[in-house]
Order: sequence, then C-alpha cells, then structure tokens
Amino acid sequence: MVKVKVIERPVPTVSTEIYLKEVLKGMGVSAKHFFQGITTQKNLVTTQYPEEKRPYPKRFRGHHRLMKREDGSARCVACYMCATACPSHCITIEAGEREEPYIQKYPRKFEIDYLKCVFCGFCVDACPQDAIRMDSDKHRIPAYTRQDEMAGNIDLLKLGGLSQARQGGKWS
Amino acid sequence: MPDTEEKKLVTMKIDGQEITVPEGMNVIDAAEQIGIYIPRFCYHPALSVAGNCRMCLVETNQARKPVPACREGAREGLEVTTNSDRIKEARKDVLEFILLDHPVDCPICDKAGECMLQEQYSKFSLRPSSLSMPKVHKPKVKVMGPTVLYDAERCINCTRCVRFMAEIAKDPVLTQVHRGDHAYIDLAPDKVLNSPYSMNVVDLCPVGALTSRDFRFKARVWFLESTDTVCSECSRGCNIRVDTYKGEIKRIVPRENPDVNGMFMCDHGRLAYHEYENDRLFTVAGTRTGDMNYTQAVNRISLQLLQMIKSGMPPVVILSPFMTNEDAWVAIFSLKVLANVNVFAIGGNAQGEGDDILIREDKNPNTRGLMTILKHFGIQPVSVKEAIEQADNGMIVFGTRHAWIDEIAKKIGTLDFGVILSAKATPATTKAAFALPVPSPYETTGTWTNEFGITQRVQAVLQPQQEARPIWQIVQDMHRGFARMQTFTRVEEITDILMDKGLIALDDLTNTGDDITVEAGK
Repeated sequence: MVKVKVIERPVPTVSTEIYLKEVLKGMGVSAKHFFQGITTQKNLVTTQYPEEKRPYPKRFRGHHRLMKREDGSARCVACYMCATACPSHCITIEAGEREEPYIQKYPRKFEIDYLKCVFCGFCVDACPQDAIRMDSDKHRIPAYTRQDEMAGNIDLLKLGGLSQARQGGKWS
Repeated sequence: MPDTEEKKLVTMKIDGQEITVPEGMNVIDAAEQIGIYIPRFCYHPALSVAGNCRMCLVETNQARKPVPACREGAREGLEVTTNSDRIKEARKDVLEFILLDHPVDCPICDKAGECMLQEQYSKFSLRPSSLSMPKVHKPKVKVMGPTVLYDAERCINCTRCVRFMAEIAKDPVLTQVHRGDHAYIDLAPDKVLNSPYSMNVVDLCPVGALTSRDFRFKARVWFLESTDTVCSECSRGCNIRVDTYKGEIKRIVPRENPDVNGMFMCDHGRLAYHEYENDRLFTVAGTRTGDMNYTQAVNRISLQLLQMIKSGMPPVVILSPFMTNEDAWVAIFSLKVLANVNVFAIGGNAQGEGDDILIREDKNPNTRGLMTILKHFGIQPVSVKEAIEQADNGMIVFGTRHAWIDEIAKKIGTLDFGVILSAKATPATTKAAFALPVPSPYETTGTWTNEFGITQRVQAVLQPQQEARPIWQIVQDMHRGFARMQTFTRVEEITDILMDKGLIALDDLTNTGDDITVEAGK
C-alpha cells in the first residue's frame, strides 16, 4: 500500500482574498529597511556595488591562470590534458623542449580563446601538474576585437602563483 | 614464421576452450587464435623469446607454479588457465614491481596514449604503489643515436630493443648494463645507435623509454589521424601508417604485412616526409610564360602539343617511377596513342645501396609498374641521357626526383615547349616554360607495383593543395583538344581498367595488416 498524506486546502475567505494583511506586512518590511538605510546603516542587505564588491565564493571559476615554478617559469609541461578535456576546444598548446631532465617540456605557446571558453573548469580538473587554475577571482573582461579575446602565456602567467604540488608523487 | 606444415597438431585447452595448434607453438599465440589476450611486455612475435617481464604468467596443469606463456610450448593435454584469481594477483604483483621505480612522467612522455604499461596497468592492476622510500634514479634523456633518445627510468628492461638490434637489424649495439633495480639499456662501448633500422626500437619499446627524436613533443598520440598507405622511398613498398595532426604529417610507422615488409621499416622511409615540407610548388609557375592559372596553362600546352603533332615533331617524355600505375597509364596512353610521342625515358632516383633486410637498391617505388605499362604499349624506353639529346622539339618531364635533374633543368630552359609536373619548386621548375604542381607521394591516390610484383594501394594522407592536381588529371586536361580521349573522373576507374587489362593484380593485395604500435590496445 502506498501511503498518501492528505493535506487540507485552506478555504479562501473574504479577508484572505483581498490580500490587505499581506500587503501591509510587505510594506512594513520595506519601511524597516528604508529607515535602517537612512539611520543606523546596520544589517544592510544590499551591497554598495562599484565602491564595495561582494567576495567571490571559494570555488568561483574565473579567468584562467598558469601557476609558476620557483624560478618563475610555467609549471605547465604541455601534456595537452586540458586541451583533451576541453569540451569547446579553446586551448591551443605548442610544446617546446627544456634542458632539465625532470621537466623536459614546456608550453612554447599556451593560448585560450575566450570566445570559445565555457568556463566549465574541466581543464583544471584534468591538469596533472596543478599548472592551470581558475581561482583568480577575475571575470574575463569583454574586449573589442577577436584578437584581444585570445589570452596567451604572458597574460595567464601574470595571474599565476607558486604551487607546492610535485610531479610523480612523494617519492619521485 | 616457422614452417608449421611439418609439425604435428596437438589439442590443448585454454580457459576450458579446446584448440588444435601445431606442437610447440607458444601459448600467447595459441590463446590469441581464440581471442584470449594474455598481457605481455617482453614477448614480440618477430623476436626471440626472452621471458623476463613475467607479465604473461599463466597456470597450467603440468606445473605447480605459474609459468610464462611466451615460453610455454603447446603440447598434447596441456590445460592453461589465464584468468584465475592466482594469475590476476600475480599480474598485479608483477606490475607493482615493474612500476616501482617508474617515474610516472606520462605528462611529458611521447608514448603516453599508446603505452603498453599504461594500458595494462589500467586493465589488469590499478593497485597503488606501496613504495616507502626514494625511487632509484637513472640516466634520463640520453642520446642513443641520431634518431633515438633513451630514458632509463621509464625502461622496464624487457630487452626487446636489444634483441631487435641483434637479431633483425644485425647491428648489436645495445646491451643491458648493471644489475637488479639499477639495470638499464646502454650502448656498447664506442658504439652509436645509427643503424638504418634504429627507429624500429621506438615502436618496439612497450613503454616510453626509447623515443623518437623526430617525433619528440610534436603531438600527443591520441590527437593523430592515421591513413594507411605505402612508403615511396624504395622499391620494396613497405606498408606504412601516416599520422597527421592539424593537416601536417607528424610521423610514419610501419604496418604489418608478411608478404612485403614484415613488421618493420627503415629510418629513411620514416623521415622521408620532410622532403615535402618545404619548397613546395603549389601554383602554376614558369619564368618565360608569365603569370597564368592552371586552365590557361593546360590550354596553351594543349594547343602547342596539337601544333607539334601536326608538324610531326613530337616532344620527348621523361616519366617518373614515382608516378602511380594510374598516372602512368593515362600519361602513356595519351602521349603515345593520341599524341604520337615515340621517345619515352624512365627517370627517377639513381640506384643506391640495398641490404638483405628491407632496403632495396632501386630507390623508386614503381619502376616495375611503369615497365609493365610501357611494355603493354610496346614501348622500349630510352635512357634519360638520350632523351635529353633528342629533346629539341620539346619535353614533358614528370616529377623532379630524377638523378639527371641538373641536365634536365639545363635543357628545359632552352626549350619553347618544356613542361614539368612537379611537387617541389626546383631550378627545373623555374626555368621551364610550364611548371604544373602535382601532389607529393603522401597526397597521391592510386597503386604502386613493387620490385616483387605486388601491387599495393596508395592513399592520399593529405589533400592536394591550391592548384596541385593528380598527374592523370593534368594529362587528361592537356589532351582535351584531342579526339578519342577517354576522360575519367575518379582514379578508381583507371584502376579498374588496369585490372581488366591484367596489368596489375590487386587481388594479391595483403594490405590490411595491423601496425605494431596498436598492440597495446588489444
């Protein structure tokens, strides 16, 4: 047997149908906030937008940034994992060769086409090096030309910081 | 391939399935016949059995302990189990040992994506490492030779490369040095890995220890688009798979074809695509005729050709053994039957060095096919030197890869009717009255007949660019003004005609072999 919970519908009466009680209640709330705003200015529910900005949530996916090594070069080793995971094919990488035997590879070119990017964050999940992140707390700012929507190595590295992740795990 | 006819057949059981195989056939191959894949690293069908990786362990009814399947010969009454819990556990143990000191640098490894270690770890193990001390470090990025780099940390010491260089390339420069977990592959003292077959070790390597310097960091393998075709660099016609990425050829690997090349190919064939990367001819050129497009050029050639035929002064033709059978048939038919040309010469690369492994002396892919078609039309070709001497009326040259190209260029510059069909921009194309672009061997579709009479299909890896057209199409356009000209729209129509006339036999085609690098994906 299926249990059915029967809920009684409220019966409309004249006093509920004219909404007078609810209208007065709502006006009371507006009046409360209005007087708070011009007197004490405490417990405000609005933000004074251009002067004051709301903090971004911790997991906000913003403008990409490339993380750096201790010497300031990109952590990225051009493994193309982000480009492989990317559903909109917006990442273009060209690999170059580095001297260090434990790095070997670096992105000579790392470009994100922000006209294509959908900010899904798959690239961040895919990265085995903690080299690309989207926690820059920055929106991508619209541009006037298509060329300006392409972000290259330098742009992405400018936002970057140091990362502690180590390739190959603890004992490599 | 050992002669299997002589051996007596035995009946054995693999995972409960009965199978009849020649006695002594190893269990890996026997299991493959009934679709059971036994994982392996060191075993390779072309090489001797080493039995050192222990990945192919199976249980039998005739031994208490698991035995390597690659060393276990088929015999009457043998019962093999490949999927018991004990074997599954043994595979995990083996993989844990193999991966103990492995650097796991897949992000920077060119093998990632077609690596047997990756595939088999994810298929048979997925057990985390229980290492609790630093890994052993070994040489990285060691230059083995002009074509190959070595990373000892990735190496699993399967010795496939050592056995290949000793047994097949007959140049035993590789050897294993040190012992235990310090063991790795190294060059013999004062030796370099510079055999003409050295890059096969890259394909053979089940992991990313030996990597190609040519392909290094060019593309990740899962982005590559592959086309099966035939190598153009000698008259063996090795079966190849050409991998491209974003419209550029990135590497060439062999496909298995026991009738032609076995499982391997030479380094020269792998690197031959660089020849067509630069100095390409994409538009109609020619110094003395000024700017013109393709249609104007073929119309003017057609008119001049008609006038020359009427006045009884036909040009000479220098054919190229790089032409496909289809190109050759249309060219010889049009020029011989319609345009009454009598002097044909076969150009092409000069004879080079060959060996008794794969490389042939004849450095042209289709000399035999060309000869067959010339014979069909009853033409006795003259030497290129004689053809140049008789070329005062005019000259039509196919291709630029000729041993006599300097003399041809000198002569063609003096002629009013000098036509050259070339994939590359060379001195000859700038001096000629008309230079028409044609596709490179990697952009050609048709058939080539190798030195042993095996005709194989050549497929276009990339599409011809700009004004480049297939040779048969250009020749056809040049003869538009002639009566009795049969026109074709697809190259397959010409292939059918050649097959009807018995000039080629595509039935013999065994061009379907797998390439050895897909081994891991089974």
